[in-house]
Amino acid sequence: MRAEPIQVRGRFLTAIAIRIEVDTPDASFFAALDEKIRSAANLMVGAPILLDFEKVPGFASRGHLGELVRAIRAKGLLLFGVQNATPEQQALAEEFGLIQVLVGRDTPVQQARATSPRRSRLVAQPENKVIHRHVRSGQLVVAERGDLTIIGSVASGAEVLASGNIHIYGTLRGRAMAGVEGDTSARIFCSKLEAELLAIAGLFKTSETIHPDLRRCNVQAFLEDETLHIERLV
Amino acid sequence: MTQLKDKAPLGKVIVITSGKGGVGKTTSAAAIAAALAKRDFKTVVIDFDVGLRNLDMIMGCERRVVFDFINVIQGEARLKQALIRDKRLDTLWILPTSQTRDKDALTKEGVEKVLNELKEQFDYIICDSPAGIERGAQLAMYFADEAVVVTNPEVSSVRDSDRVLGLLASKTKRAEDEGAEVKAQVLVTRLDQRRIDAGEMMTIDDVLEILAVPLLGVIPESTAVLRASNVGMPIVLDEPSAASRGYEAAVARLLGEEVDTQTERDKKPGFFSRLFGAPA
Repeated sequence: MRAEPIQVRGRFLTAIAIRIEVDTPDASFFAALDEKIRSAANLMVGAPILLDFEKVPGFASRGHLGELVRAIRAKGLLLFGVQNATPEQQALAEEFGLIQVLVGRDTPVQQARATSPRRSRLVAQPENKVIHRHVRSGQLVVAERGDLTIIGSVASGAEVLASGNIHIYGTLRGRAMAGVEGDTSARIFCSKLEAELLAIAGLFKTSETIHPDLRRCNVQAFLEDETLHIERLV
Repeated sequence: MTQLKDKAPLGKVIVITSGKGGVGKTTSAAAIAAALAKRDFKTVVIDFDVGLRNLDMIMGCERRVVFDFINVIQGEARLKQALIRDKRLDTLWILPTSQTRDKDALTKEGVEKVLNELKEQFDYIICDSPAGIERGAQLAMYFADEAVVVTNPEVSSVRDSDRVLGLLASKTKRAEDEGAEVKAQVLVTRLDQRRIDAGEMMTIDDVLEILAVPLLGVIPESTAVLRASNVGMPIVLDEPSAASRGYEAAVARLLGEEVDTQTERDKKPGFFSRLFGAPA
């Protein structure tokens, strides 16, 4: 039996979007672009790249786009498409061999996020972790790139860490640290709080500073105004 | 007397461990081994606490030690020369440890070789672990089929037991070769109902909620335990006491028999504890 010469397979692709924030790129724009690419070389080199025109419907100069495409490709980045482009921008993009990518359910980022200097839309594939056992004293569980879900308890003297959120379906008696890479939007959820320590993006509370009324409750912890808040979940 | 003479021995390795010291590991190892032997299972109890030989004293055979576990591991004696047969039960044997060497004398290969040899002759091999989570304790649990985690109802003991349960799930041959956990059950010892009632001790439910493993048994604090160990008598071979009944029930459960724990632990201080009067 001969194998099919071609198989058609669907595939999802994670791309990195470079969102343009100014209508007319000048020298400082290209300097900033260089800086960005240099500082995030690991993330960007070799990854498929999109240009995002969401903020700049007025960016419509063929010369500027050409300069931008050349600058990005000269850095070794694999620029292949555009998103949030006006019909005019699409037509221009096609001249440079860039395809229009439909954004679909991709919701626009919040203004607050967009202005935060640490925020970018550079999204790497998350690696969420689900642990289906108790985390015993002395054990350490880490989800380096994503959320950590524990179906079981976390013992006193155990540590659970995630770059994203932490969900504990059990009693948290040990230490939980979410947003360890600095994600201030990360949260910790646990069905029964008896924690030694809760931390989000480096801000923490210990058992001594957690209000006694919250002990043994179903809670979430989150950051607001640079403070760690713990709140009962109903 | 050995009922299983014509059958292959069971060859089951059970480690008695705890993490924390002074919780009653050696007493429990001696009692469990003796209770199994009383039921006609050919049983050996091994002392893994190299340098702090205690098991032979609790078993009352310290004067009969010539060769030990370490001598066998290092090829200085044969296993047969080091095994001591109990004078009260001919199904019960002791493999004592060395008082003069240290834990570095234990090697994984050596322990495995001795255990494999014992499995060919014995139904149950009870490993009395040293305290702590270092080499001696890890080797005592490494080849275990099952574990009995001895815990006192107080926070530091429970926390150490939890640590040991984590090691049982990861640092044993079963976990490393098959990704399977060693079946672990908790034996709560030195339970003092009056101190629980006074709020000074954790309840059994507190302990079980934290450790989240099945309860093998509850041994009440008892002067009978101290008296028995002073005369070198495993508690189950001594006159009946609340503690000896606790161990008998634990061993019944270890063998898969159904014994109700609830009624036992709710029982008021028994006849013997009233008779001898636990110290206030």
